[in-house]
Amino acid sequence: MIPSHPDRARRGPGTPPGPSTGPVAPGDGTGPPRGVPAGKGGRTGTYARDGWSRLRRWSTTTPARVWTLSVLCAAMIVGLFASATSTLDQARNGLDVLGRGAGPQAMATTELYLALADMDARVADVLLMGTDHDLGSGREDALAQYEASREQANEVLLQAASLTEGDTVEERNVQEVLDGLGVYERLVTEALLRNDEAQAPPGEADERALGSYRSATLMMHTELLPKAFNLGLDSSAIVRANHEDGQASVALGLAWVGGVGVAVLVALFALQVYLRVRFRRRFNLPLIGASVLTVGLTLGVVLALVSSGGHQRDAKEEGLDAAMSLARGGAIATDMQADQSRYLLDPEQADNHQQVYLERAQQVLFRPVNNLADYYEAIDGVTAAYPELPGADGSDPDDPGTLGYLGERAHDALLPGQEDRLAQVLTAYNELQAQDRELREAVREGDVEAAISIRMNIAHSEDGAFVTYERALDGLTEDHEEEFTRGIGRGDAVLAPWTWLLPVGSLLLLLLVALGVRPRLAEYR
Amino acid sequence: MRFRHRRVAAAAALATAAVVGLPACSAVLDGEESLVDADSLVVGVKADQPGLGLETENGGFEGFDVDVALYIADRLGIPGENVEFVGVTSAEREEKLLNGEVDMVVATYSITPGRKTQVTFGGPYYVAKQDVLVRAEDTDIQGVRDLDGMSVCQGAGSNSAARITEGLGIPVERVEGETYSDCIAQLRDGRVDAVSTDNLILAGFLAEDPGAFRFVNNPFTDEKYGVGLPYGDIEACEAVNKAISRMYQEGEATGMLDRWFGNTDLEMVHSVPQFEGCD
Repeated sequence: MIPSHPDRARRGPGTPPGPSTGPVAPGDGTGPPRGVPAGKGGRTGTYARDGWSRLRRWSTTTPARVWTLSVLCAAMIVGLFASATSTLDQARNGLDVLGRGAGPQAMATTELYLALADMDARVADVLLMGTDHDLGSGREDALAQYEASREQANEVLLQAASLTEGDTVEERNVQEVLDGLGVYERLVTEALLRNDEAQAPPGEADERALGSYRSATLMMHTELLPKAFNLGLDSSAIVRANHEDGQASVALGLAWVGGVGVAVLVALFALQVYLRVRFRRRFNLPLIGASVLTVGLTLGVVLALVSSGGHQRDAKEEGLDAAMSLARGGAIATDMQADQSRYLLDPEQADNHQQVYLERAQQVLFRPVNNLADYYEAIDGVTAAYPELPGADGSDPDDPGTLGYLGERAHDALLPGQEDRLAQVLTAYNELQAQDRELREAVREGDVEAAISIRMNIAHSEDGAFVTYERALDGLTEDHEEEFTRGIGRGDAVLAPWTWLLPVGSLLLLLLVALGVRPRLAEYR
Repeated sequence: MRFRHRRVAAAAALATAAVVGLPACSAVLDGEESLVDADSLVVGVKADQPGLGLETENGGFEGFDVDVALYIADRLGIPGENVEFVGVTSAEREEKLLNGEVDMVVATYSITPGRKTQVTFGGPYYVAKQDVLVRAEDTDIQGVRDLDGMSVCQGAGSNSAARITEGLGIPVERVEGETYSDCIAQLRDGRVDAVSTDNLILAGFLAEDPGAFRFVNNPFTDEKYGVGLPYGDIEACEAVNKAISRMYQEGEATGMLDRWFGNTDLEMVHSVPQFEGCD
């Protein structure tokens, strides 16, 4: 097994001399320096100079070079470990913030709008019912729902207050909604009290009660709901910024891992080449093993990061973003259906409430029409044509297509198996619009009693057209929420094994390098 | 516009692409230039809307939209002297934004689902309502339904009279003026009975001559005035929204509304509007 060691070989006759810079014999590195003129220089400088030149001489010896290259390899391996650990940590942190921090918070804030819109809807229903407490699912039920939504809104707001601390714009926004909600509740209490005192029959709210409700609903729609909606948008913006910053730093980390991985390979290659030239050995199995392991480790980490990044993006886009968008659509639909009660409750502003109803409906599902009669037809058409979407081919320059929260959901790639669910949502929405048409026809024919009955049946909390629509929509939203949880889980799972694979792999790399150079260095002992 | 380039991010993205070339990088590379990094800005405003965007004799622009644009630019870190205003007509707004002639449009630009497919909208910074302006002396017109059988002027290409006839089913005679100034002149001369469009636009004319006209004050549709931004510039959209929230919180919006429409009987909203969302 004794190799054709250049230094040893030199001792044999007829062998060519080694490189002039090479050592003369084993142990050379620690031997006395050659050619240093002893005694030259001052006494004080001698030791230092001796040490320096000895080091310089040693550095030109074979073991020194083997050592240098080995240390370089080890340093690069440590660098690979460090860059991979830090990037994996960033990726884990990104998943954590999205999955357990900013993501769920954004979802909760989005639901604030729903809670507020629902409060105002229930009040309108109760005022419309007047003395007939058994219309639809009844007054008690409506008041209980109001209370539940009020509690939910307060809960979300208190949570938001602690989360937005420090962000002056948002903090103030939350505070204004909290304060405004107090004022709103007082107005509502006043409206209900006045209507009860006046013993107002269904559909004929007391004038003073109506005055209080007008102030309340105006405040809800000009101050509370817009700010609540904006808070939800802002928390989505925070999620987006976190996500993009996270992805960018992981991408930067990927570059580092890739770069350092290549550097490890170069260092290992240099070491192998040196050993080959110097020691005339064709292969160094441990070092080849180390190179293969480096490639494996680097690629493994890179693939894990890319794959977890993909899962994170899916969780955000197909999960959270879609769920939040549907939740917003649901909240606006809640406000929209309450416009039916407001329309019946306040004949003076009926035109206004009807127009606003159409506007909110257009936000949920848009078709290019100007009035409700055309809207009913258009929605009927969308439901019948689905999964085809009217106007999607862009052939008509005046028809931008089927848009709004539901329309855009239908355009975007749905999750597998969701077409049926969306079809159910559209059918339920179409039914809601069909009943709206009946309601307004009854009003036009002067049959307000029938109109109120239709309205209260739509609002029935067990089997009304609106709750049917809400349930269908919730099914779709839950799918996306599950997709979100699943994406985060998959991302975590891809990264999980690297908590031990990376340190074990790095240690193994160091061990292989040691194994690769140790026999060579041993030859110099 | 000029940009403060974020060299580090760009270099990182390029390095990543070069070394790894993987799909994860596309997210970074897609992050194109955003207005939030600009240090100068070209803003499209109306040139012929008193109170909103009006070209002055010395070639400058003034009005509520101009003030809003300057406030937003300031919050984006762009000082007023680096903001250049150019006049845009309603028909030009999309085109000039798409071909990059302007970086931002603040020109009574209503957010509609159709436009949202081409333009990213920050805001709305104000929700105007469609209303009707009549002569001050015509006191028998109290609501929009009293317009039955009367003549209503609207600007060329506008849809506002259709909202009365088709939307509310009230038969009125539709008259088209070349511009709203033209409609106002016709109203003054008695050639038409009413002018219909956004109440903020009407208030701008009313502010010039507060005694001559009055609102019917029966607002019936929302016109959400948005800040038009290059399509997909979500970062700028979010920054614009934040600026608008602040504009209302600090009372700046109230000050601007009072400055331009304070002498009219316009019912103003002093609370931040519900934003449209940036994606």
